[in-house]
Amino acid sequence: MSTDAHADEWLLEARGVTRRFGGLLAVDAVDLAVRRGSVHGLIGPNGAGKTTLLNLIAGVYRVSSGVLRFRAQDITQHSTAKRARAGIRRTFQNLKLFSEMTALENVAIGLHAQTHAGFFDAVLSTPRHRREERSIRDRSMAVLHFVGLGDVVRARADTLAYGHRRLLEIARAIVAQPTLLLLDEPAAGLNVTEAAHVSDLIARIRDDGTTVVLVEHHMDVVMRVSDEITVLNYGRRLARGTPAQIQEDPGVIEAYLGRSGGNESAQA
Amino acid sequence: MAEAQLTGWFGPGAQPRRGVHFAALLVMAAVIALPWIEPDKFTLHILSLIAIASIAAMGLQVLLGYSGQLSIGQAAFYGIGAYTSALLTAKLGVPFPLALLGAGIAAAIASLLMVPITRLTGAYLAVATLGFSIIVYLFIKNEEWLTGGSYGFIAIPRAELFGHVLREPMSSYYLNVGVAAIVYFTFARIESSRFGRAINAIRLDADAARASGIHVTLLKSECFVIAAFVAGLAGSLYAHEVRYLAPNDFTFWKSIEILIMVVIGGVGSLAGAILGAAVVVGLPEYLRAIGDYRMLVFGAILIATMLFGEGGLAALCATLARRVGALLARLPRKLSIRNEAAQ
Amino acid sequence: MGALSLSQFVDLVVGGLAVGCVYSLIALGFAMIMRATNIIHFAQGEVMMLGSMCGLTSLWLIPALPLLLVVAVGMASSGIIAVVMEVAVYRTLRRRRVPIMNIITATVGMSILCINAARIIWGSEPLRFPELFATTAYEFGTVRVSPQLFWIMVMGVAIMGALQLFLKHTPTGLAMQAVAQDPEAAQLMGANLTRMMAYTFAISGMMAGAAGIMLGSMFFSFFEMGFITGLKGFVAATLGGLGSIAGAMLGGILFGLIETFSSVFLSSAYKDGIGMILLIAILLILPSGLVGLWQKRS
Repeated sequence: MSTDAHADEWLLEARGVTRRFGGLLAVDAVDLAVRRGSVHGLIGPNGAGKTTLLNLIAGVYRVSSGVLRFRAQDITQHSTAKRARAGIRRTFQNLKLFSEMTALENVAIGLHAQTHAGFFDAVLSTPRHRREERSIRDRSMAVLHFVGLGDVVRARADTLAYGHRRLLEIARAIVAQPTLLLLDEPAAGLNVTEAAHVSDLIARIRDDGTTVVLVEHHMDVVMRVSDEITVLNYGRRLARGTPAQIQEDPGVIEAYLGRSGGNESAQA
Repeated sequence: MAEAQLTGWFGPGAQPRRGVHFAALLVMAAVIALPWIEPDKFTLHILSLIAIASIAAMGLQVLLGYSGQLSIGQAAFYGIGAYTSALLTAKLGVPFPLALLGAGIAAAIASLLMVPITRLTGAYLAVATLGFSIIVYLFIKNEEWLTGGSYGFIAIPRAELFGHVLREPMSSYYLNVGVAAIVYFTFARIESSRFGRAINAIRLDADAARASGIHVTLLKSECFVIAAFVAGLAGSLYAHEVRYLAPNDFTFWKSIEILIMVVIGGVGSLAGAILGAAVVVGLPEYLRAIGDYRMLVFGAILIATMLFGEGGLAALCATLARRVGALLARLPRKLSIRNEAAQ
Repeated sequence: MGALSLSQFVDLVVGGLAVGCVYSLIALGFAMIMRATNIIHFAQGEVMMLGSMCGLTSLWLIPALPLLLVVAVGMASSGIIAVVMEVAVYRTLRRRRVPIMNIITATVGMSILCINAARIIWGSEPLRFPELFATTAYEFGTVRVSPQLFWIMVMGVAIMGALQLFLKHTPTGLAMQAVAQDPEAAQLMGANLTRMMAYTFAISGMMAGAAGIMLGSMFFSFFEMGFITGLKGFVAATLGGLGSIAGAMLGGILFGLIETFSSVFLSSAYKDGIGMILLIAILLILPSGLVGLWQKRS
């Protein structure tokens, strides 16, 4: 049926999504269509509503109006945890790691929803508990190696260098092999080398089958790795297209890229 | 929170664990041997009370230290457990082991009333639990037909196991300490498990936990039920240890005492909960001079602990142990240097 | 549940309003501290209690002390005590940026400290205030009102009115409001945050002290009076909308009336329970209180 094909192609759709905070219209009737298997960049000047839109997709905020569809299902009223279990995972702009836990334990949390051992399993050390702990450990180790944190698996998260913390945040979000990954400024505050590493990582994540929505201020990261880009300004969609198209769109240049006369990579 | 947490197989290494296990074995041996070395009835009675209090404190530790929920209402479940067990044994002739279990279950069921409250956080949760505790206290005080009200509930039978009535202080000592040990080792197992990681994650960052698919409210509620259950067990043991219950034992002051045990002992440390119970219950008995000033001192210690480091007694002991360990580690070298010098 | 005669009804209303004024004053303290620091000051009830005790002590020392001076003593002592709490403990905790759970625990510790200090100093027996008011009832037409309750209401309203004037029409008051709304901006405009914080505690302490004198003279003073009443003040503040000054005042009056009327119809043994149930209900159903409801409408 055509709707299946439609759902196959468009993993995430936002239609007329609006979010108000009191009198402030943070997101204004935005349409978004994310192609399955792509990296979809979301850019715009500060205050354009990018993170708010991401939060709406993740379920942190409820929409004031509009519809969100994931895999052709209406998820508009679903809670954050429910969306996470359905395969939407995210990172946070301001890093929300579990500071007292090790890198390995942080990533293990990402697998909570895929496992089932509970209080009694732990107390009685049931086969399920032991089996899952082994599996969690192995998969978490693998992901930490994948992102490049193989040397620090047992370090406490709050002792890690900033660049490593950003990678850990990503590792935790991808360990459960999410269908859709929302990255909120994953390269914020990183130097050129680290940012390049993150770009590569995002590409590898996409190649592994995960669809990515990427909010970023580092223009080199966004342009390099995105398949498609949506530009927001003042809460509205300003433009949409391939990186090449966006870079040449006069409206975008005027509103965003042109203001500072070049790459705005020093943000955040 | 104590660094020793979440060491499981994820931990920073095997060495710290060995030390903790060794210490635990020493303590267990001492605890088991004690009644033969020092059979004084009063001492054993106090130690029983400490064990009982530590059970309630360990329950609160799961709530506060692990899942980060400040409950000032544990006395409600302690009281429900105590009166349930008293009623079951004294009025219905139920054998003690079933009454003990029944006490825990009654408290756990009552805690289901709290489930809506677990949506709350921080001080709002705290006052809600306080409010609940006060309601339960009022019920205990006013429903004389059930609880004896202010006249008290008297003539509670002694605990008995397998038909053998525990008449000797030594027997009830082993019962109380035994249950405390079971609770301790049960909760210790949580630390390196999916459940334990999840509730710690909730404490550290509930939003991030949610974003990873954790059902935050569900797990928070589970912690409440667990804490209520063990508080109920503690209440039952208390009822059969002192064999007389009065509503004044279950006011919000009791809830605060349990909180003090956890804070003084060290938020996040199970062993700390036991140490805290020992201090709060044991100290006033041995320092009669403190008597009236007991709560004043504890209030001051609470403030001081918040000001100067929240690791509590457990952290202090850990630091001490580390220093001693480091000292001991240096000894072989010192000895060998002396030998070389002698040659 | 028979019908109430007019005089009974009036008695209940007056009683409810009077105790409501007391709750409002305590609730105001909670609201102000919440706005400024984002914490629930557990020891606020104890501040009230200590003000009550100090006022009573002043009456023991000087039996002929006029009512207004007793209130002044109560307010001054509470204000000072609250500031001491802030300077000695809370300020340090905030500066260290300790987790909020620790600050809450510290206020609980402060509460325990104060209650037991009061018990040691003043004993555990309830203490009666000497007669501060006339005993013959005032008559307004067919309605008779006890002078004590009447003057308590008048004082309560006067103090709250003075507070509003202070907050809205004096430089310090405006600065305090600014600090509560946006500390950084206020600081950039020259406000001294530390001092404003101290003023906040001082004023909320003074409100509590006045409440303590009123409550003490209505019933009696004892070392534990702050705990439950403080909790009820918190319920009132939450009912109105925690963090809102107007909400605190409204919530207090409303709660006073609710409690007084329901204790007629329910067993008086469960009187305290009314507040607790209301508290849990509000936190679960209407966490932003009546003010929040009002704001949502507009």
